[in-house]
Amino acid sequence: MLLNSKGLLRATIAAVTTAAIVVGSLPAAAESGDPIRKLTLISRAQAANPQQFQAAELIAQAWQQLGLDVEVQGMPRPQQSDAVWYNRDTWDLTMWQMAGRPERSDPDELIYNLFHSTTVESGYNFVGYVNPNYDDIAEKQRVTANRADRKVLIDQLQDIINEDQVYAFLVHPLQTFAFDKTVWDAGTTIEQPGLGIKNFWTFSNIEPLGAQKDMILNSSDELNAINPFYISGATDSWITELIWDRMMRIGPSGLAEPWAAETVTWAEDAKSVTITLRDGMMWHDGTPVTAEDVVFSFTAPVKFAPMYKPFVDGIANIEVVDASTIRFDLTTPNAAFETSTLAKLNLVPKHIWEPLLAALREGESAESVLEQSRIGSGPFKFNRWATQQEVVLDANATHWAAPKMERWILRIVLNVEATLGMLRSGELNFLSDYTGDPVLLIEASEADGDLTVVESVDIGFQYLAFNLRRPPFDDAAFRRALSAAINRELIRKAAYNGFAVTSNSVVSPALSFWHKAGIEAELDTGMDLAKSILADAGYVVVDGKLHYPTGKTEPFAN
Amino acid sequence: MAYFLRRFAHMLFVLWAVATILFFMFRLMPGTPLAAFIDNTTTAEQQAALIAQFGLDKPLGEQYWLFLTNLMQGDLGQSFFFKKPVVEVVMEVFPNSVILTLASLIIAYAFGIVAGAYLAWRRGSWVEGLGIPLVLTTRAAPEFWLGMVLLAFFSFHLGWFPSGGANSSGSDWSSDWQRVTSLDYLSHLFLPAITLAIYLQGLPLLLMRSNMLNVLQEEFITMARMKGLSTWTIVMRHAARNALLPVATAFALGIGGAVGGNVVVETVFSWPGIGRLLVNAVSASDYPLAQGAFLMITAVLVVMNFIADVTYHLLDPRVRIATR
Repeated sequence: MLLNSKGLLRATIAAVTTAAIVVGSLPAAAESGDPIRKLTLISRAQAANPQQFQAAELIAQAWQQLGLDVEVQGMPRPQQSDAVWYNRDTWDLTMWQMAGRPERSDPDELIYNLFHSTTVESGYNFVGYVNPNYDDIAEKQRVTANRADRKVLIDQLQDIINEDQVYAFLVHPLQTFAFDKTVWDAGTTIEQPGLGIKNFWTFSNIEPLGAQKDMILNSSDELNAINPFYISGATDSWITELIWDRMMRIGPSGLAEPWAAETVTWAEDAKSVTITLRDGMMWHDGTPVTAEDVVFSFTAPVKFAPMYKPFVDGIANIEVVDASTIRFDLTTPNAAFETSTLAKLNLVPKHIWEPLLAALREGESAESVLEQSRIGSGPFKFNRWATQQEVVLDANATHWAAPKMERWILRIVLNVEATLGMLRSGELNFLSDYTGDPVLLIEASEADGDLTVVESVDIGFQYLAFNLRRPPFDDAAFRRALSAAINRELIRKAAYNGFAVTSNSVVSPALSFWHKAGIEAELDTGMDLAKSILADAGYVVVDGKLHYPTGKTEPFAN
Repeated sequence: MAYFLRRFAHMLFVLWAVATILFFMFRLMPGTPLAAFIDNTTTAEQQAALIAQFGLDKPLGEQYWLFLTNLMQGDLGQSFFFKKPVVEVVMEVFPNSVILTLASLIIAYAFGIVAGAYLAWRRGSWVEGLGIPLVLTTRAAPEFWLGMVLLAFFSFHLGWFPSGGANSSGSDWSSDWQRVTSLDYLSHLFLPAITLAIYLQGLPLLLMRSNMLNVLQEEFITMARMKGLSTWTIVMRHAARNALLPVATAFALGIGGAVGGNVVVETVFSWPGIGRLLVNAVSASDYPLAQGAFLMITAVLVVMNFIADVTYHLLDPRVRIATR
């Protein structure tokens, strides 16, 4: 037998350990299960998301102290999605994130979709969490119209997720935005909790101070579509919500407010809602917005807009009561209906879209329609889109909430460093998408003197997901131990440069009403605690390697 | 004539082969175009609908046949992402790539030819001792670094040039021709073209220099010196013209090679071009667009190669005789 020095050393240590155990008559080693396999932690590549990658490395190092062998594997987003989302049995651990969106100001979208058992197979519950008790409460909060009562249920759900540590939550990042305060009146920006100052309300309210009346902002992602029935990425959603009105909008308070609707009146049984349409609304081509258009906007998605379909599925019937009154009957009461449906679907002109949808072939959807006029009724009108360069929207002066700016120009800028240079030179006057180091931005603004930097806590969050389909992650104690071993404060400071707050819930502290106060403190952490949780659950360290509890075998032995 | 026909058939064969390899490469690669739609496709039913919409549910052989017949008719299919015909998407940015490539190649070759000839003439002097390492260093410097340095100095610091894009934001133009000939466009073009030119100048310079060294040994140069001609006349009128032919070939091939290879420069300067389009298409598994963009680049390369061969054939009697 050939033995190198390392192997010899290992054998010696094993012998000594065994001897010690025999001497101490502790049967632990003999009674442990199989050693736990080498684990792979998937992350975005370092160049694409340095913060996430660094957090993954820190976590892997910490877990090594528990006796686990963890390898961090960086990969591009499509490849990561392919493994995690489309091959749900194949991965162990992944870094993941949920983005902040206006509709996510209501906790339902995340709290229901991420953990309800109906979305395990191909929906948002990609970790495979199944808990009938959770399902019950998640369904119940949907039909609880009273906010205070619903809050109690949302708190319970946050507690269950904390108890089970389905995810190891890491941080809610701070978003940083900046604008030129010599161009824009700083007092007219509007902060929306969880979204910062880059939001619909700022764009429709901000006032120019001088001759520059065009807002020039940036996106670091290539744009793929501008379509009222289809959102291909975060950037399109900024544009669509400006061109197309909605019945309600998520207001700066985080609650849905009437917008194209003059009034929104719920029936006693919370199963039907009557809406009066605002008077005098016009499409950008000059034709009036009618009740028929509203019905079309909420019925067309059932057949033609797969991504909006889930949000209209709960509508049993839509009835035009008179020229400006529409009644929605729901299949069951739904507390999130205003946020997830009335404030989400775009009002689309029937006279333009109906013929286009009628001409679709079998299997095609509104997503494959390229409607180039992009006529809506919103405060901004579509002007043009130059591929890879810019999107230009003109202010709609006849809108009831007409913007004060003249044009809204979104530039596609892939080079993060260049965005800072552009902001200082005036090539940009509103930094709407900054993925670089916030410290550099603050330094640039101090050097410049004309810039204002605004930070806010994101609705979205960064986390580590366990694949609950695969042992040992099916064991809640094991997950709790791993989560306890993570030093979130270190990740916040080292990986995020301090621009984040630590997290332990899907409901961001930015949503102060729904967030369960103090839930971060309910998660006790520390390496010693992690080790004791593992020991209590029967996991044993042999030769420096963590083993399953007695009787458990490794189903995925390398 | 037979030579041209043979050469032309050869070109078509190469294009067909590349198209076929591209077709199978993208489909056999791991990954699914659905991954890019992750936020939207929540149910298995919706995923199946998307696959059908993309035509990916058909047998591979049938997909290939469709692809080839469409290609013959100049139809590259429809981009999964932009929902527009691939030709339309590609043509929107293709002129930018061609202009950037041509501008940088012309700068690089004009400089390279003159400097290469000069360095050959001053062989063994301190100018050469300084020049060659300098050329090699700039040739080896990463493009993104070079681009960032130029941006930091000329744009952020001096403010002479804009920091990105091809036109000022929100600028209106009556035609594409007016747009690309405007001062605005040229000022946006300057930094990326210079960055690329600095990167590209090494090849023509060194090629020119080594050709010149050969030519300068020839008897007609000695003759010219004996006639008492000026240095400039000898180097430029007599020697350089003879050393130019291989450099001209490299130029033609350079166009093909550089059109698609400018991803880095396009990204640093947010220049709308085909390289960026290609990277975006590949990472999103937008097969038709990626195939189309690749094919476009290949076509330019193959056509340029063809032109280079044919010109050579016409210009140099020695090649003409050899191919008989």
